Amino acid sequence: MILKRSYRVAGHVFSLSLESGDWIWDALGNYEPFLFGGGEKDLFSLELVQELDVQDKRELYVSNPGPGEQRIDIHTVDGGYLFELAPLPDLPVCGWLKVTEDFSRGSLKTVSSRVFCVNNALMLMYAFRTAGLDTIEIHASCTVCDGRGFLFLGKSGTGKSTHSGLWLKNVPGAWLLNDDNPVIRITDGIPRVYGTPWSGKTPCYVNDDYPVGAIVRINRAPHDEIHRMGVVEGFASLYSSASGLRALKPVADGLFNTVSAVAQKVPCYVLDCLPDDEAALVCSKEVLGNA
Amino acid sequence: MRIKEGFTLRSIVGQYVVIGEGIAQVDFNRMITMNESAAYLWQGVEGKDFTVEDLTRLLTDKYEVTGEKASADAAAIARKWIDAGVVGE
Repeated sequence: MILKRSYRVAGHVFSLSLESGDWIWDALGNYEPFLFGGGEKDLFSLELVQELDVQDKRELYVSNPGPGEQRIDIHTVDGGYLFELAPLPDLPVCGWLKVTEDFSRGSLKTVSSRVFCVNNALMLMYAFRTAGLDTIEIHASCTVCDGRGFLFLGKSGTGKSTHSGLWLKNVPGAWLLNDDNPVIRITDGIPRVYGTPWSGKTPCYVNDDYPVGAIVRINRAPHDEIHRMGVVEGFASLYSSASGLRALKPVADGLFNTVSAVAQKVPCYVLDCLPDDEAALVCSKEVLGNA
Repeated sequence: MRIKEGFTLRSIVGQYVVIGEGIAQVDFNRMITMNESAAYLWQGVEGKDFTVEDLTRLLTDKYEVTGEKASADAAAIARKWIDAGVVGE
């Protein structure tokens, strides 16, 4: 029997359907805080299937992941897109996600790494489907303090999570909302950051949201120093950390509109820092004072 | 020369920026900022082959500027775009 569950993340409802007895349900505990009773129509739905009908496959984008990063290649197919997923650059493809052109319906076939595939399929569909809805998925770590969310951005390995950890240790009242992929959504003109089921290696799945206090790009440096960026710089910083297939015009337009609106409303900074306590003190002193 | 596929001119708080958005530019993780006259030139040559002379003509059409100055500015901006990787020779 097929079991369908609905979830709500940053106010957007989506559903996942697969066999009720499948062990994978037990491995998807990260979605439980986001379970939604229903009543609202799904913005998008994903089902797990045994077979995928793929016709007229043409390469659209071949990813170029760094060591340790996942590989996601994209093709156009009859009626939409096909995403091929692999957890590491040199591992074979283990999941095929076929989605309709508007990203509202997806079918996923997996042969291994099934949890990885389900999580990534839902993240991709979420980012693309909500791009035109004042919503962006951000590759960031997010700490809450004084009722506001502070996002730390940076390339993989720069120390986003480390910096959040330093806030938790050094800034009274700070706690972790999400460690890898929070969502920012603008509601009533106010950018708010939401916890999500996607938090990287840190199991932190909080269904809660706060106004964004500041967005800070982390740069490794031999000293601790923070600078406020202008709107255009802040835009560039946030844009490079936002998920979305920019090759599709509606997605690119949506991303641009949301990121530029956020950059105009929220103070953006760049923090040159060491991975030390002083970094959290320098950063929090500046951003808490201006948030 | 020609603007490479996948670069889009957009405007944010009155500042023009060129962003890599096309599939060919998915990994282009930079942004070029432009002033108003550069953005005007960009729009004038978007989607077609062009030369430094075309840029010069666009400048003298719109601005009160000598041919010599316009030509020097046009060459400088073409070089800047090529160096930034947004225009192919």
